[in-house]
Amino acid sequence: MENFSEVIEIFFSLDNFLAIAIGVVIGVVVGSIPGLTATMAVALALPFTFSMQPVAAILLLVGIYKGGMYGGSITAILIRTPGSPASACTLLDGYPMAQQGHAKKALKAALYSSVIADFISNIALIFFAAYLAKIALNFGAPEFFWLICFSLTIIISLASGSMIKGLMAALLGILLSLVGLDEVFGSQRFTFGNYNLMDSISFIPLLIGLFAIPEIIEFYRKKALPHIKAKASGAGLSFSELKRCLTTIVRGSLIGVIIGAIPGTGATAAAFISYSDARRRSPNRANFGKGEVEGVAAAEAGNNGVAGATMIPLLSLGIPGDVITAIILGAFMVHGLTPGPLMFQENLSLIYALFMGIMFSSVVLLLVGNVAIKYFSLIADIPKSVLFPIVLMFCVYGAYAVNNDTFDIWVMMAFGVMGYIFNRAAIPAAPFLIGFILGPMFEDNLRRSLLIGHNDLSIFVRGPITWAFIALTVGSISLALYRFISARREARNAAAKSQEV
Amino acid sequence: MITTSDFKRRVKDPGDVVAGIILLCFSIVLVFYLVPNYINEPAILQNPMMSPRWLPEIVGWLILLFSILLILQGFLLDRSSEEDERNIEKGSTRRFVLMVVALLIYVALFESMGAVFTGILATLVLFVAHPVRTWWVYSMAFVFPIAVTFIFVEVMNVPLPIAPIGF
Repeated sequence: MENFSEVIEIFFSLDNFLAIAIGVVIGVVVGSIPGLTATMAVALALPFTFSMQPVAAILLLVGIYKGGMYGGSITAILIRTPGSPASACTLLDGYPMAQQGHAKKALKAALYSSVIADFISNIALIFFAAYLAKIALNFGAPEFFWLICFSLTIIISLASGSMIKGLMAALLGILLSLVGLDEVFGSQRFTFGNYNLMDSISFIPLLIGLFAIPEIIEFYRKKALPHIKAKASGAGLSFSELKRCLTTIVRGSLIGVIIGAIPGTGATAAAFISYSDARRRSPNRANFGKGEVEGVAAAEAGNNGVAGATMIPLLSLGIPGDVITAIILGAFMVHGLTPGPLMFQENLSLIYALFMGIMFSSVVLLLVGNVAIKYFSLIADIPKSVLFPIVLMFCVYGAYAVNNDTFDIWVMMAFGVMGYIFNRAAIPAAPFLIGFILGPMFEDNLRRSLLIGHNDLSIFVRGPITWAFIALTVGSISLALYRFISARREARNAAAKSQEV
Repeated sequence: MITTSDFKRRVKDPGDVVAGIILLCFSIVLVFYLVPNYINEPAILQNPMMSPRWLPEIVGWLILLFSILLILQGFLLDRSSEEDERNIEKGSTRRFVLMVVALLIYVALFESMGAVFTGILATLVLFVAHPVRTWWVYSMAFVFPIAVTFIFVEVMNVPLPIAPIGF
């Protein structure tokens, strides 16, 4: 009861409500502009949170995340350009609906399924995070060591495109995370005498550089494309149509929750799995891909069901589930908090205040989403040529604000160029960031295990939990190899068939 | 003798081969030069795995291994569909050069000339780069740097450099 009053006290402040509202608005606006991603918005908003209270800061970022997840569907429906990769599935039915004059119906279906899925995902977060954290309290350094190994393998194995490139990106991330002073011996690692690097590479300039600058470079490198105007027209979604989609939405949300809780799987996979599941079960399956409202609902439910669930491994284990939760992990650290099982013991009131805020964000999403549908054409009509110079200004200001040093602007630019090269070479940036975050944790838990075990390596197989994680790690690697071999075989068969033709 | 056209025919993804070669060179430099010379190892170590060099060395060897695999992948795996996504239709050099100029303005003048001045200058350069043809949009180049600096400095209490002339 004492805790409850403390939770109420922490949560019920104007700052928190404003943070959620502003966050969701920014998220929807940014998500609905193709080329600007929710990841970029979360990274750019991070420097603004320095002076905020931890709960308000995290809620702002969570709001952007959730708003961005929904916002991506708006352009997917109206101009066949997904605002985020996860919305790619929404356009399959959303755009045909818009062409048939039912844009508003598609947008409303996307909004309601997003909100319902988000709500279900939040409930899952509240129930499972605490439960998982309770189990994780029994973890010591060797268990965490294997958990990190498992997270690294699963994130890499599920990286889109080439597995080798995903691994390479993660290794480069781990390597760069080691720059600075070694925590045990105080030895300098790759600092090259530069005092700015003693305290490791600054996270925020790296983040902004990796996720915002490449988009800007690409825009100015590419041939200018004509700006497409969008319009939300037609009738809205009727109650009977929503009722018809409800089962699909709930099923899609649960798919999103399961997929979101596994680190590295991501919203895109959830959207497509939910969509194909809905198509398989629906009596209107023949209409899927031609403008079926259930298709939009399924895709958006899967996509948004991930949002709350990705916070489960973050809050309970301290392991980020995707790039955005990796940035939110950075925000926790900036505010002197370390997510993980201990946080549930030491800062329980703060966690529950966060849960309340996250639940409230679903309501805000519903309100903001409705307004966004109405006034969307204004947002979509801002051309990138006006937007990107302003985004670059935010990038520079944000990077500089971390340490008040131009060196961080250089760091941001360097990682921007690196991110651009990654894009061009089809190397995924997400495993790089996860590697950068998990690298120091990996080394720290390895060393702590060795110290606890007095240099005896048997500490790494000391009990059923370690064995379970070893099995999961081996399983994850095997799955990745299986996927790689199957993809090769399929490609070879396809090539053989095309030669025959 | 292998001619250039033979080589091109054998390589299914030149991008992967080039990336692999660059990473291979980097990993060799890392393992044999950077780790021994730029990481100090304590004189006494109870376990080699405790060494500050251990993880960078392991990572270096793994990068070396995977860069070889990446080169092999470039020779063996046809990723032509992905290649299409990687290819971009390049725009005018002027636009790109002006963007680089804007980046350099930020890096070179940010501390000496202040956030507002460099923000205005770089934004104007980028507006000219595209170019933005609506005249009133140029006023944004003045409004946004002033407003955002104000939010950072006065509202969020995050300091930004101010120019010698006071803004």
